[in-house]
Amino acid sequence: METTSVDVLVIGGGATGAAALYDLARRGVKALLVEQNDLTTGTSGRYHGLLHSGGRYVISDFDTAVECITENTILRRIAPFAIEDTGGMFVATSQDPEDFPARWAAACTKAGIAAEKLTPDQARAIEPALTHDIAAAYRVPDASCDSFDLNHGFITAARTLGSDAWIYQRVTGFLRDGDAVVGAELVDTRTGEQRRVHAACVLNATGPWAGVVAGLLGLDVMIRLDRGSMVAMNIRWVNTIINRLRPPSDGDILVPVGTVCVLGTTSIRTEDPADKHVEVWEVSKILQEADPVVPGVRQGRALRAWAGVRPLYEPPAELAQLETGHDVSRRFAVIDHTERDGLRGFVTVVGGKLTTCRMMAEQAVDVVCQQLGVSARCTTADEPLPVPESSPRHYHQLSHRVDRQEHGALPGALICECEVVTQPQLEAHIASYGDQPVALDDLRRDLRLGMGPCQAGFCGYRAAAILQAAHQSTPEEATRALGDFVNERFRGVRSLLYGHQLRQFTLDELIYRRTLGLDALLDLDQPQAEEVRDAAE
Amino acid sequence: MPPNKSVRNGLQAHTTVREDVDVIVIGAGLAGLMAAVHAVNAGARVRLIAQGWGQQMVTPGWLSVCDRAEDDVIAEVRGYAALHPEHPYGRAGDDAMVAGLESFRSAAEAVGLPYAQRKKDGHNMRLITLLGGVQRAMIAPRGIAAGDLTDHHGPLLLVGFAGWRDFYAEMTAANLRRQGIDARALAVELPDQDRWWDLWPGDLARHFDAAPFREMIARQVAPHVAGVARVGFPAVLGMAEHPHVLDDLARQIGRPVFEIPTLPASTAGVRLTDRLRRWLLRQGARVQIGHPVVRGVVEGRRCTGVEVASLGHPTLFRADQFILATGGVYNGGIQTDESGRVWEPLFDLPVVTPEVESRADWYHDTLLIERGHPIHRQTGLRVSTDLLPLDAAGEPVLDNVYVAGQLLAGFNPLTDGCAEGIALATAYKAVHTALELDA
Repeated sequence: METTSVDVLVIGGGATGAAALYDLARRGVKALLVEQNDLTTGTSGRYHGLLHSGGRYVISDFDTAVECITENTILRRIAPFAIEDTGGMFVATSQDPEDFPARWAAACTKAGIAAEKLTPDQARAIEPALTHDIAAAYRVPDASCDSFDLNHGFITAARTLGSDAWIYQRVTGFLRDGDAVVGAELVDTRTGEQRRVHAACVLNATGPWAGVVAGLLGLDVMIRLDRGSMVAMNIRWVNTIINRLRPPSDGDILVPVGTVCVLGTTSIRTEDPADKHVEVWEVSKILQEADPVVPGVRQGRALRAWAGVRPLYEPPAELAQLETGHDVSRRFAVIDHTERDGLRGFVTVVGGKLTTCRMMAEQAVDVVCQQLGVSARCTTADEPLPVPESSPRHYHQLSHRVDRQEHGALPGALICECEVVTQPQLEAHIASYGDQPVALDDLRRDLRLGMGPCQAGFCGYRAAAILQAAHQSTPEEATRALGDFVNERFRGVRSLLYGHQLRQFTLDELIYRRTLGLDALLDLDQPQAEEVRDAAE
Repeated sequence: MPPNKSVRNGLQAHTTVREDVDVIVIGAGLAGLMAAVHAVNAGARVRLIAQGWGQQMVTPGWLSVCDRAEDDVIAEVRGYAALHPEHPYGRAGDDAMVAGLESFRSAAEAVGLPYAQRKKDGHNMRLITLLGGVQRAMIAPRGIAAGDLTDHHGPLLLVGFAGWRDFYAEMTAANLRRQGIDARALAVELPDQDRWWDLWPGDLARHFDAAPFREMIARQVAPHVAGVARVGFPAVLGMAEHPHVLDDLARQIGRPVFEIPTLPASTAGVRLTDRLRRWLLRQGARVQIGHPVVRGVVEGRRCTGVEVASLGHPTLFRADQFILATGGVYNGGIQTDESGRVWEPLFDLPVVTPEVESRADWYHDTLLIERGHPIHRQTGLRVSTDLLPLDAAGEPVLDNVYVAGQLLAGFNPLTDGCAEGIALATAYKAVHTALELDA
């Protein structure tokens, strides 16, 4: 079995883990990050894109609000490449609690959040799509943040400083030496290959999986999993982030991100850290709530819906004193298991917001360094992250790809017109997997293939054939790969199949069934087709 | 006739009114186009109004009448219609179905675009899909029908174009081979490939109209046809010159050639639509595409006109009879929204909707399930045997608006293999009832 030694092992490739890896590297600590999927595929990636000013929390959670505005200011400074300064607005309609805006504005002042009162006319001059029924409006320093770019910035910078990140590595167990954790055992989720990593300290930054990972050591870390769904509309209904000026509840934000507008969110308790499903009623709820603020949005075209799982930390009362002893907000916690469980070399960080990921990392790394006897202080807020030049920076921004394509930087046949993915890109990307198996859904995640309005109706067939040619796979395999992909896409948009998107998907189904004959070809491989049909009826 | 401006029946002021035709057909799919053809042939003055061209622009090009029929297609439909009077075939009746198919073939022939079917046994053909599946269909454009696998399996040579995104001959051939069909692939080169990064099937088809381009392709294919019975191409063999291109390529290659439908837009549909449109215009029919009908104007149970969105102000078009062929969910003849509402937008006619609790159940959990999904199977208009729209109690709602094509309830156009047959049968029936012609 392959064995590696590092000072610190960081588990979790979301924003907190990536920021921690970078923080450790700047303090001169050699660290390795491992992630069970690809980077930014958990809660950090399944995110609405709102870099909070803190305005949303000033009433319900003042400490978090203060953390948000502090970190908002820092992230704008250190990661401008990941942030679009859209600005934000809080808008109340006549339906919202009348006394709330004044209380809210006072709390913003106290928290240090610059909230500038606007007249309804001023608000509509900035955002003409807003309702005429504006009871109160304020401008705040919200921004739109690309969590993929931010994460990539942290990881790239950490690598430059000698740290590394491995993907598709799941922790299956820990290495113990008495009452100390001294490393972990990993399995490659794609090849099944096992590895061992020795580390003087392990940081558990696994978000909704924190309880599961701690559970491998018999530790009890209680988190409440809370699923939130979001809907992306096909155009930027607004260019400014719009928050409903009322106590936080379902469906009260609109976030312009790239070429789309993300509406969110819902809040549903779940038991599954991998829960990604979106219910039809959630989509309806989100649209119904957004419509009074931006009239007509409910009739707009919804492109995608997704859900992320918020890891909300609820310390048990008897442990609260110990666990919140690090001068942190109750909204996130750094658990030093030495104090709590008598186990050295293991630290858990849980809760928080994407906006506060750097601060969470700082406080977690402080505890890790304390255990290691490292006295270097955190410097991640001191200077900008290097812009990750060698990376697919901004790749997932459609306008960036259109610009490259139009200027000849993306030659070759255009395979996915919606998201601008070319045949040479696909071929190069398939080749980059080497002998590893690659599914069309991997190409979707990496290149955004099939993520646009048509949801793979056209590019699915093309990409399946290109993949078959590259891998010399059998027609059975290639046909099944296409079948899996189109069904996956279907599940992704099923909750949005009404109006325009229903028409679009009807065309897709027509292509799959009538033009390609995909259903009949899949049936060739499925002698049990009869039973499937019976089950459906 | 000069437009006369008036205010009546709650119409907006300054609505222009035109009353110069007998029949208005709404919709330019297969049903709408053929309804216009029938009405013209019956001597009526006809206006066809549509938001855009219909679904023939995206379907493969063959006409599905009853794909599941193992032997005689017409007999199968007759049997089915007798047992299912509520099905559109049952509503239209056998005679309309047979006459509708026949008059389509005549119309296509008349515009120089012959369609073929298996005359000798009346069975479905077995045609090759883009992915290498085998699809049954009764009628197909001559070029596609030439690929019928019923009597001859091969050996087939499938020709693709290196670097062209809409046809991968090797994948098609490989899937055919695993079904026991002798097929192999050949990739030929297109010149100046770099220019053609977004070449659509129609673009490539127009290149085939030019003789030098065809010769360049034929020169590359000819050396590879030894032992080959037929040569298949993606359906890009010419646009305006299509019939000539088919014959000329076959002559140059020395083998019969056939077409395999590729991704939309459907070249077969473009060819047919373009020629039928020109034919209608030549006969004096009006064809208006782009400014959609926004609502029907109804007095009692009679439609007196339809309001069309146009620049500046709406225009009211009057006629005696109306054929409603606006299509189903895909085409916009049926609208849906996020709340789960399903409606017919022009007359707000009673619509059959999926018998489910909410929009959450419009689809099953797996996409390519055999009978498809409730939103397609259980949505549409119920009609009388005269194709007049009915209310829930089974009473006609209008007396001069006849419904044809995919707007009708009772079938799933994506899975049932009869969408074009229904379009042709009901278009024929609708016009013959409206104009009180003998079927």
